[in-house]
Amino acid sequence: MAISKEIYKVFEAIVGPAYVSDDPVICEGYRSGPGGYENGLGYERVMTKVPGCVIMPRTTEEVSRIVKVCYRHDIPYVPYSTGFYGPRSHPHVEDALLIDLKRMNDFILDEKHFYVEVGPGMIYSPIQEECMQHGAYVVIGGGGAQASAIANLIGDGWSPLSHRIGLPHRRILGTEMVLPDGEILRLGSLATGDDPFWGESPGPDLRGLLRGYTGLRGCLGIVTRMAIKTLPFQPERLEPTGISPNTALALPEKRIKWINFTVPSKEAQVQAMREIGHAEIAGAVTKVPLFWRAIAKAESKEDFWDLWSKENEETVANFFIVRVLLIGFTSEEQMEYDERVLMDIMTPLGGIARRTKPSDESWIKNADSAGMWLMCGGYVSVDYVIETLSQSPAHGPSYAELKKKYTPPLMPDYGDPGWFQSFELGHQGYSEFLVYWDQDDDTNAVDQFYVDTAKMNIKNRYYTSLLGPHQPLYLTGPKYGPNYHEFMLKIKNEFDPKWKSHPPVPLAHDVFVERAPWMQAMKDWESPDDLPK
Amino acid sequence: MTNEQPIRYYRPKADFAFDISDIQNFVYDMSRCIKCKGCTWVDHTYMPGAKYMTRCPSATKYEFDAYGAYGKMRIGHAMAEGLLPWNDRALEVIYACTLCGACDVGCKRNLDLEIELSLEALRVKAVQDGVGPMPAHKKIAGNIAGQHNLYGAPHEKRRDWISAGITPAEKAEVLYFVGCTASYVNQEIAQSTAKILQAAGTKFMLLPDEWCCGNTLFSVGLLDQARELARRNLEEVRRSGAKTLLLSCAEGYRMWKVDVPKLLNISTDALGFQVVHLVEFVDEQMKNGALQMKKSLNTRLTYHDACSLSRLSEPWTPYEGKRGWMGCVEPRLKRRRGTHGIYAQPRDILKAIPGVELVEMPRTRENAFCCGAGRGTREAFPEFADWAAGQRLEEVREIGAETLITACPWCKNNFNRAVKAGGEAVQVRDISEVICASLEA
Repeated sequence: MAISKEIYKVFEAIVGPAYVSDDPVICEGYRSGPGGYENGLGYERVMTKVPGCVIMPRTTEEVSRIVKVCYRHDIPYVPYSTGFYGPRSHPHVEDALLIDLKRMNDFILDEKHFYVEVGPGMIYSPIQEECMQHGAYVVIGGGGAQASAIANLIGDGWSPLSHRIGLPHRRILGTEMVLPDGEILRLGSLATGDDPFWGESPGPDLRGLLRGYTGLRGCLGIVTRMAIKTLPFQPERLEPTGISPNTALALPEKRIKWINFTVPSKEAQVQAMREIGHAEIAGAVTKVPLFWRAIAKAESKEDFWDLWSKENEETVANFFIVRVLLIGFTSEEQMEYDERVLMDIMTPLGGIARRTKPSDESWIKNADSAGMWLMCGGYVSVDYVIETLSQSPAHGPSYAELKKKYTPPLMPDYGDPGWFQSFELGHQGYSEFLVYWDQDDDTNAVDQFYVDTAKMNIKNRYYTSLLGPHQPLYLTGPKYGPNYHEFMLKIKNEFDPKWKSHPPVPLAHDVFVERAPWMQAMKDWESPDDLPK
Repeated sequence: MTNEQPIRYYRPKADFAFDISDIQNFVYDMSRCIKCKGCTWVDHTYMPGAKYMTRCPSATKYEFDAYGAYGKMRIGHAMAEGLLPWNDRALEVIYACTLCGACDVGCKRNLDLEIELSLEALRVKAVQDGVGPMPAHKKIAGNIAGQHNLYGAPHEKRRDWISAGITPAEKAEVLYFVGCTASYVNQEIAQSTAKILQAAGTKFMLLPDEWCCGNTLFSVGLLDQARELARRNLEEVRRSGAKTLLLSCAEGYRMWKVDVPKLLNISTDALGFQVVHLVEFVDEQMKNGALQMKKSLNTRLTYHDACSLSRLSEPWTPYEGKRGWMGCVEPRLKRRRGTHGIYAQPRDILKAIPGVELVEMPRTRENAFCCGAGRGTREAFPEFADWAAGQRLEEVREIGAETLITACPWCKNNFNRAVKAGGEAVQVRDISEVICASLEA
């Protein structure tokens, strides 16, 4: 049902006429695709719709009033911060109201108590800059410096810097959110006052509503304010240098440096990560796909393919690198000590320190996920797993094997097993598998591969994060938990009985499989007959 | 592609060209936007903090996604596919934009998409579809047709800026193309430029009959009129025998260096003469000792990078090719990413002036926030232009600069309006004026 003139006037009264529009040109500007994360795929084509109306609130109270109007008049709505997370952050039903939160970009830094407080319109790079100016830092997740910090933290939100601090979303402190029916919920110390310094609520900790392992894509309400714990950093300035596109932070080498080691085997990689973690040194430890190196070197997409086409299965299979970021958090002496410890670890493992530029192009401030599109135009991380450090490196090769069946249309990557690293000083191992394609190709197989990865995870007992709103709930639910889907749907029905907050999430991928003819052959699981069609 | 690894995929190759008269040439670019909004944010490496986060005036002012390049690409794509009709809002989206190139540079930080050309092609399409340009632009087009200048001022007064002591030569290797604004409105810029040339011992001539460079016509999508003017102007300059065409206006510089060649489907090299801005000339003369800054100016000043002198000023090369698998193009293409704009020279000049303390604004060089005046914006959306200048002046205030320097009369005038309206204690000057003042010891 389209939004009536009367309701439109109500929206105007809430935010002012300048901040609401149902003009088709304005709404077209919010189309999901066809480019971007996961775009150009069947999910984007089948499941996303241009919004019927867009509204830009400024305050939590405005969001609450908007949502109450939606709930009263059965208007589906979708919260939207930057729109970077592909089709899953865009409307899935006709005539939805898109609630664009970019004007809610307040920022407060509490230097004394080491936290920042942000709105959903605030992205990571300014937060990092402000933090670094005050002796602190945050971890910019793989979503990139351009991601809304709140969206990233309630979605995925990790990076090589998670080696030291673990999952960034564990640093969510006092938080304010608008529940699907418009009620305002304050979590942590915000429940009892206006100071957000503390995360745990006096009753049950409802931060779980924001996310499980990963996020719920706005289907359980809208976060409008969040305090995020910051961490102490070294005091020297990381000076920006260069002119676009070759910009980087110059690193004060006595306090912070990257060192790239080559090691003889995967076992040595894993052992290095484990020992570095146990020694409690380093700010980041990671192994990235070989083709990322080609991305970093390439001046254009044609350059990338020139560089990459020189590789083969053998070079990929023998690429064993460990990238280590050392940070002298407290002093130059600490840095020297950490470097000596690092060398004591790496030398017996056969690690050879390679010449590494004294700069940071990506991760500390400019987590550069946007550059991932350079060579293909189409990209998605089909999976992330957080396992033990022993188990996670086995994850990538199993994907690489499955991927062969779907290449082409997937990019030839010669069996590259993806990205893995240590989290939380080796307590966890992280693995991420990324795939690339040309969106002008027939991409049905990419959609199929995506669901096939869920089946592979179930078969191999990998604890994947991409459940819930990322895969068919009725495929994964009965196999994890068990029956975590039933619990999730009960929560959804309790908080959003009318299913107005980003419908049909968390059942969107189930609906996609039902609607897309090329997915029918994939379906070997049971689901109810009354899924929204 | 090299031959070492056979391509395992087949894709028919699609012809395309950097020809903005056909929007279909840019459908690929418009369809590949990933909404990273690199077009809008300051390069994250240079992100100055929680203030001054953006470099796109249009997206910052109007806020809906439609006004950022990510929205415009989607709207343009839908229009190119015939799925979205024009309306008043669409015209505002397309024209309330300074075409300042911030989006293009930001996008090309990570991707290979031609955002600026797509935006130019959209304006051309608006004209082709009979809905563009805006009424204020049509008035300017009338002025140019009638009096050969933007302002509709009497053509015969074009040389009235020449004051005592300024003696253009009949024949010289350097031709100073003055432009409409320095000829009629900011004569101090033309006079300072001429004095600098004379101080360097460089003979210069003027065109016998200088007409508008056509920047506004081109910028608003009036391609036929702009092309006709470009042909005429190029012929005149070539006839003069000049080896160097010197400009003191950033907009004119970009027009001559990039868009005249673009309109005529030739490369910048094929113009037959070198196009230089005054700051390039002075920088070179300073470094070879022909010019010396002697007089102390004793001021804390900051420099505003005019878009057309900085990120938009890389030379033009026509391109026709094929796009194939993964969007790779053949023949190879050297993309214009704003890397080689004129960034260092004006700063080197200002630093050489005794008594000058040069301080940078939070957003500088390729990340600079446009003043809001150029490419037809001031005329059609004056309130937006005022707002953009006000945003920039906030930065000037924040760093405590007493003087704001730019290298374009459009910027100077727009900033001056904002200074006057806001009662700011900031002096706005063109770089030619401060150079001249420092030379006159």
